[in-house]
Amino acid sequence: MGRSPRMLQNYVPILIFLGVATGIGLVLLALGFLFGSGQKDAEKLSPYECGFEPFEDSRMKFDVRYYLVAILFIIFDLEIAFLFPWAVSLDSIGGFGLIAMAIFLTLLVVGFIYEWKKGALEWD
Amino acid sequence: MLHTILFYLFAAVLFIAALGVIFSRNPVHAVMFLVLAFFQSAVLWLLAEAEFLAIVLVLVYVGAVMVLFLFVVMMLDINVERVQGGLTRYAPLGLVVAVVMVFELVQIIWLRGQANTETLGFAATPEGYSNTKALGAILYTEHVYAFEIAAVILLLAIIAAITLTMRRRPGLKQQNISNQVAVSAKDRVRVVKMDAESNS
Repeated sequence: MGRSPRMLQNYVPILIFLGVATGIGLVLLALGFLFGSGQKDAEKLSPYECGFEPFEDSRMKFDVRYYLVAILFIIFDLEIAFLFPWAVSLDSIGGFGLIAMAIFLTLLVVGFIYEWKKGALEWD
Repeated sequence: MLHTILFYLFAAVLFIAALGVIFSRNPVHAVMFLVLAFFQSAVLWLLAEAEFLAIVLVLVYVGAVMVLFLFVVMMLDINVERVQGGLTRYAPLGLVVAVVMVFELVQIIWLRGQANTETLGFAATPEGYSNTKALGAILYTEHVYAFEIAAVILLLAIIAAITLTMRRRPGLKQQNISNQVAVSAKDRVRVVKMDAESNS
């Protein structure tokens, strides 16, 4: 584990970014903790909704349509994820890989046409 | 050396985040801890040079699956006070799963490590090695059957999700754009001819 591969060196900026982000986050919290008055009362800690009393409990049920949108997103997200290694290794897998991906995409296009015709993409 | 330090640092955060998933009282906080845990495991995969898998973990799990988890948590109509105290009820099942996983890990790391020391560490990768390329080279050729099965499962998921959650709301006032475009002036406007009134 002592080596540091060339691939990982590309990620050093992200590591630095993580360090800086953690540092700034901690400093901001610490500043608020050190210099804040710390005086809390019931009115300050009450739920706040754009300056007026909240209308209802925010733990309300969400419409199931959000769930439908999210699950349709995941499916096509996965499809795109499958495309990346295929595009990278296309020159080594050749025509067989091309046909394999064509079948894969055809199956998903069937699903796409189904959801389009069914009206699942419409928000009414 | 830095590699090892980073591994233990991110593994420690992963461990803490996993504990947070179990012990946080608010289910939304638990989901957020799970997001942190996924990020940390993505970093661990990156340290193992599995670049593509790390990015996919962030894209698919953090970007999509956790959004779904949040929606599910919010759909359950959770009242924070009511759902507390489930830990002791589910602890036996969790312990059984944990014991099985520990057994499997011990079997892989310790028993196989005794037989063959090569499997203890990853073999050094040659210069210019790309994990994504290596993955693609076998995924679409050797494992093409599993790959097409994945497409069928995804298709099934589309149809199942639509069948389960699509609702047509009756009595909903909607805009029908094709009807609006197809309409002509004579359907809407009636020109009435009248004699001019004489102002006597």
